[in-house]
Amino acid sequence: MTARSQDIKAQDLEAASALPAPATARLRWPRLKGFEWFAFGFVALLIAAAVLVDVIPGLARPNFPYGDFSQPPEWSLNGLLGTDPLGRSILSRVLHGARTTLGIVAVATAIALAIGMTAGMLAGFYRGPVERAVDLYANTMASLPPILVILALIAVVGNSVLTMMLALGILDIGVYARIAKGGVIAQNDRDYVLAARAMGASDARILAREILPNLVPALTAIVPPLVAGLIITEGSLSFLGYGIPPPAPSWGGMIASSTDLLSRFPLLVVGPILAIVLTVYSLNTIGDSLARRLNDRNRNL
Amino acid sequence: MTGGDQDILLDCEAVSCTLATSRGPLALLKDVTFRLGRRTALGIVGESGAGKSMLIKGIMGLTPSDITVAGRIGLDGEDMVAMPEARKRALLGRKVGMVFQNPMTSLNPFVRVGRQIDEASRLHLRLGKAEARARAIALLSQVGIPDPQECYAEYPHRFSGGMKQRIMIATALACEPELLIADEATTALDVTVQKDILDLLQALQGQRRMSMILVTHNLAVVASRTDELLVLYGGRVVEYGPTERVFAAPRHRYTEALLSAVPRMDEPAHTRLRTIPGRPPDPQDRPAGCPFAARCPAAEERCRQEMPGMTLDADGRHGFACFVPVPAPGPGATAARAEATS
Repeated sequence: MTARSQDIKAQDLEAASALPAPATARLRWPRLKGFEWFAFGFVALLIAAAVLVDVIPGLARPNFPYGDFSQPPEWSLNGLLGTDPLGRSILSRVLHGARTTLGIVAVATAIALAIGMTAGMLAGFYRGPVERAVDLYANTMASLPPILVILALIAVVGNSVLTMMLALGILDIGVYARIAKGGVIAQNDRDYVLAARAMGASDARILAREILPNLVPALTAIVPPLVAGLIITEGSLSFLGYGIPPPAPSWGGMIASSTDLLSRFPLLVVGPILAIVLTVYSLNTIGDSLARRLNDRNRNL
Repeated sequence: MTGGDQDILLDCEAVSCTLATSRGPLALLKDVTFRLGRRTALGIVGESGAGKSMLIKGIMGLTPSDITVAGRIGLDGEDMVAMPEARKRALLGRKVGMVFQNPMTSLNPFVRVGRQIDEASRLHLRLGKAEARARAIALLSQVGIPDPQECYAEYPHRFSGGMKQRIMIATALACEPELLIADEATTALDVTVQKDILDLLQALQGQRRMSMILVTHNLAVVASRTDELLVLYGGRVVEYGPTERVFAAPRHRYTEALLSAVPRMDEPAHTRLRTIPGRPPDPQDRPAGCPFAARCPAAEERCRQEMPGMTLDADGRHGFACFVPVPAPGPGATAARAEATS
């Protein structure tokens, strides 16, 4: 018995040593919970649909009547979410709306990230007047109702996709600037920054190559919830009629055009509302999940 | 003094560092003068707060903005204090490499090891990607990293403190500097690892024929590894000279007290350790005279009133700032004492 268990032990050891050593601590496939799988999957699907919406076979065009008006959902591709008061396929309009919304929000976020990060990093690095200016901007934007800011902007330059992109971008510049600023201040007197200086690195080089990589985790975690916020703002604007001009499909606009018929055809708003709620939920979940994961990683450092 | 002397690499003259505070300027480092020859190793010793790191930061131009550096720091004939930022950046990393105290925080956690080593050689020597990589891998194996190829592509968190310090040394050597500064480079490491790193530094200094500055508060570190020794106390140089001579026959009262506080192997067990009574002067109210006067057994009235100047030995290589120096021993006594300390 003893001899056998020793044999087994020896075998186990051999088997264990034959296994390839765990090569690196690089990206392992993350262990996600069920709802996180849903969130990542939903956003991936939505992005895919937004990109491929024109080539989905059999999908009706968003601005042409497809069937009877205000039909409840039925078991067919275009009728899956029913038809709207003009007989257009709600699914088709939701997917086209996704393209518009995601496109606008993506560009807005890119603008906000580019400007906000640069301003925030400079503010954190040089402090002084640069920091005061950035703080003033961030505080001002944080204290104004976002819709009001955008409405003011639209009133001045008119209503277009480009205006929406810029307006939404401006909203988040301050937030990203603050996060970048905080991250830079936390790193300013780290030894590796000093070491880079001792290597003769210039300020620009230190910012771009030493400090920026360390900001990425904090930013990846904060981007999805902020994007979700922009989606809600964009939806609200469209609902108020200041978004993308009709007949272009947008989620907020679809809810708005169904409200007067809501008592008779309550199913009309299910499609767009579901789209907004699930997208925002998923983005927030992704943000939480990333934040938790990145914290785990820092703990191992 | 004008850089004409080819054998002098670093020439510091009357270097002072002053911190601007709300209550007026505060001298952290005063009148530090020393010269470092090519291919020589210099040890800088002193207690915490003596100004060791301040001196190094002053040399490297890494002082925070509220500290002003005065005097002349000649590196290869060029004055580092007066030169424009861009010129200084071109020299740092190129002619001077630096290893910091804490290897755990000196490497950027989000940047791969390879790129951190490449950085300097690509910046200063304009090497291409492949060239810089080959060089970095060669350096990694020189500093004793067992698997340099793999190490090159890894992130720093995979390595222990000793390994990280080896990587830091490789980083500092990337451009083959003429001067390597190790600022308490082994303080944060285990004792056994300390010895490995110090042996490595000493070997590299010999192989690469560069100068080296070892900054430490540990006399044992500099004893056998440096040619020259600079003893700092209270922001001033109190003694300077060839390491062996300073160890064998210290002239300044502080150096003597410091050396006799080192436990010795040849003493009977349970001998009481000698200590220096009192504590170093607070930079906020340093005495007018010798900073060590308050703790010095031989201090006279004059020591408290005025700062003694540097007295030089007969051959001008050994200097000390003391009015009542330890008497110079005869030739026989020097040999006996050298034997006892080695």
